[in-house]
Amino acid sequence: MLTTSKARYRAPAPLGGRPRRRPPRRRSSGAAWGMLTPALVVLGIFVAWPMLVALRMSFTDASGFGDTAWVGLDNYVRAFTDPDVLDAMVNTVIYTALFTPAAVITALVLALLVNNSKVFFRSFFRTALFLPFMVSLAVGAFAWSYLLDPQVGLLNYWLSTSGVQLGNVLQDPTLAMPTVALVGVWKNFGFYFVIFLAGLQDIPASLYEAARVDGAGVLRTFRSITIPMLANTFTFVLVFAMIAALQTFDQIYVMTGGGPYGHTQTIVMEIYDAGFGRLELGFASALSYILLVATILLSVIQFVFFGRRGKDLS
Amino acid sequence: MTRRINAGIASVALGGLLLAGCSSDGDQPESTDATGDTDAGTGEVVELTFWHGYTEADGDVLDGIVEAFNDEHPNIQISTEVNPWDVIDDTLLPALSAGDGPDIVAMPAERLPVYADAGALASLDDFYDGAGDITPALNPGAVEMITVNEQRYGVPTGFVPLALYYNQAQFDEAGIESAPETWDEWVDVAEQLTVDEDGDGTPEQYGMVLPDHATVANGVWPSLFYGNGGGIIADSSTAAIDSEANAETLRYWQDAVVNDSISPTGVDGIGADEVFSSGRAAMTIGGPWMVFIAADNEIELGIAAIPSGPVEQAASAIGVSMGVTDKGDEAAQAAAEEFFAYFLNEQNSVEWSLGSGWPPLRTDIAPEQVAENPTVETLTGMADLGQPLLPGVVNSVDVLAAIDELTQRTLAGEDIDELLDQAQSEVQAALDN
Repeated sequence: MLTTSKARYRAPAPLGGRPRRRPPRRRSSGAAWGMLTPALVVLGIFVAWPMLVALRMSFTDASGFGDTAWVGLDNYVRAFTDPDVLDAMVNTVIYTALFTPAAVITALVLALLVNNSKVFFRSFFRTALFLPFMVSLAVGAFAWSYLLDPQVGLLNYWLSTSGVQLGNVLQDPTLAMPTVALVGVWKNFGFYFVIFLAGLQDIPASLYEAARVDGAGVLRTFRSITIPMLANTFTFVLVFAMIAALQTFDQIYVMTGGGPYGHTQTIVMEIYDAGFGRLELGFASALSYILLVATILLSVIQFVFFGRRGKDLS
Repeated sequence: MTRRINAGIASVALGGLLLAGCSSDGDQPESTDATGDTDAGTGEVVELTFWHGYTEADGDVLDGIVEAFNDEHPNIQISTEVNPWDVIDDTLLPALSAGDGPDIVAMPAERLPVYADAGALASLDDFYDGAGDITPALNPGAVEMITVNEQRYGVPTGFVPLALYYNQAQFDEAGIESAPETWDEWVDVAEQLTVDEDGDGTPEQYGMVLPDHATVANGVWPSLFYGNGGGIIADSSTAAIDSEANAETLRYWQDAVVNDSISPTGVDGIGADEVFSSGRAAMTIGGPWMVFIAADNEIELGIAAIPSGPVEQAASAIGVSMGVTDKGDEAAQAAAEEFFAYFLNEQNSVEWSLGSGWPPLRTDIAPEQVAENPTVETLTGMADLGQPLLPGVVNSVDVLAAIDELTQRTLAGEDIDELLDQAQSEVQAALDN
């Protein structure tokens, strides 16, 4: 009886031999929890607990002293009906809209330029561009306030020698917000610049070489390789910049104090005034939670939008 | 298993350590007398902490008075902690909320009602009623500034009317022999001192600097309102900013600043000091510290009362007071009141006045007693012009924000009647809040 046997295909063994089947590792979740506990305790005490206390406080008329009464949603209703708070919300949106794209685009463009190997003194530029971020926010804000001062400021003096009158930009209702946003960009873009630079250096050179071999130009390379490969970095920077903008306080507090007549008053300044100025801790806590929810929502939207877009581009 | 147990033990130990570090040492003896177990009468030492913001030479004088008090009162020991005023304001709330913080705290007058109304400060009515000859001799305006809801919550440490400070050299150069005494003279002198050499419309030297927001102790515009018989509030619950008197005041100064360019616009109180100290303005409105600023900038300084308005001569006063934080400790409060009485006795009042550069708080101290400091002597002569700013107003933050907007937009040339109408609504809303 003739029998035929079909030889079964057997894949060649990988270099180094087939991996030995290891016994399944027992999950040592107890050890994991043990390692995590210190961090969790610290986070619990210094982050979660204060947040819970603030959440409870937002439903009371707490002033920090004496008895407090439960006021339900009164603080939240007031937050959405108080004209000063609404103005502050609008100002915060304007600041965010001015600051975020300007800071991100400035950082990206400069990172692309400095990442180019043909640029001389790259190390110098990297350090110089990062330097404003190292300066204390208050010091930077004071310095700019003096530079822009219409009476004793150097910038006004230099410009006036060329016949240009800058005027009192920080007290001009139209120019105050763009000016503080510009100073905010100067102060913060260095951080985003470094992140972009790291993202750019993570892109494999082989991709650019392949593109060049395929005849792709600079723009095509940028559109088809750089942007998709930077998508995650871009999303991170964008969300980070937006959160920084929504939470801006110190710089504006120093430069304008919220003026002229409330035109640069942001929501965090409103929280500060309510909490420390008027001792309305309940109301200030409610405003803080509104800001927190808005920040989370905007971050999620951006992650979802740019996450999808990143996948599409990839 | 052993590893898991070890990890668990380590976690519990670390958590316990952290919790122990964060907990209050309630089983430890209190460093102050906050337990109520001690008092000045039992021979045990009552220890008090005193926060104040006198950071210059005045701070040394105050600390000297505290040291002398400690030496003379071995059963009460006060330790001072000095920080800028705004740092005190920012840290007082969290410190007291946590059951910590000072026993005595000094603060600008407009902040006292906020803390008093929130229940952070103890009433000092008993002290005022039982302090013999001291408290009746206090400047009535200074007492009014620490009165909230008809109770007295503080002891004044400073009360000085804003005054006119001028550059004597620029006056001499322009041939002006004396300080102006009325508003019209004031504007005339300012016009004479305004110099626009290149004719570009921006003077190189302004006759005066009139800040339009965040002014010195927030008192520049209230001073002008008082001069024409106006004001900001009728009482601590009624706004009175929208008045014909205030409208006239605003029109008068809008015309002088906007049309005659006697002052730069958009300047705040600190900016005004800088403009004056740089020699770009010949007159400013300020407080006693202008003497030090002028000395630092080698400016020969003249001091005069704020010129009289059409109705009266008056000035908003810069006030600082100290209060006792309400920790429910009678012994601490008694010890603090003993210090207040010591601080306000005649000898210390004179010493504090000479050292701080502020006029005496007691009206029974004659200008001659402080004659060795000419600035103090001059300011003492005008002490009765001082009016407290917003006495008893709890929500001063929003009231002052409304006034800042009013004056800033006035000097930007906007319609005054509309601005006053809006300011009236905002001030009343703040008072109702």
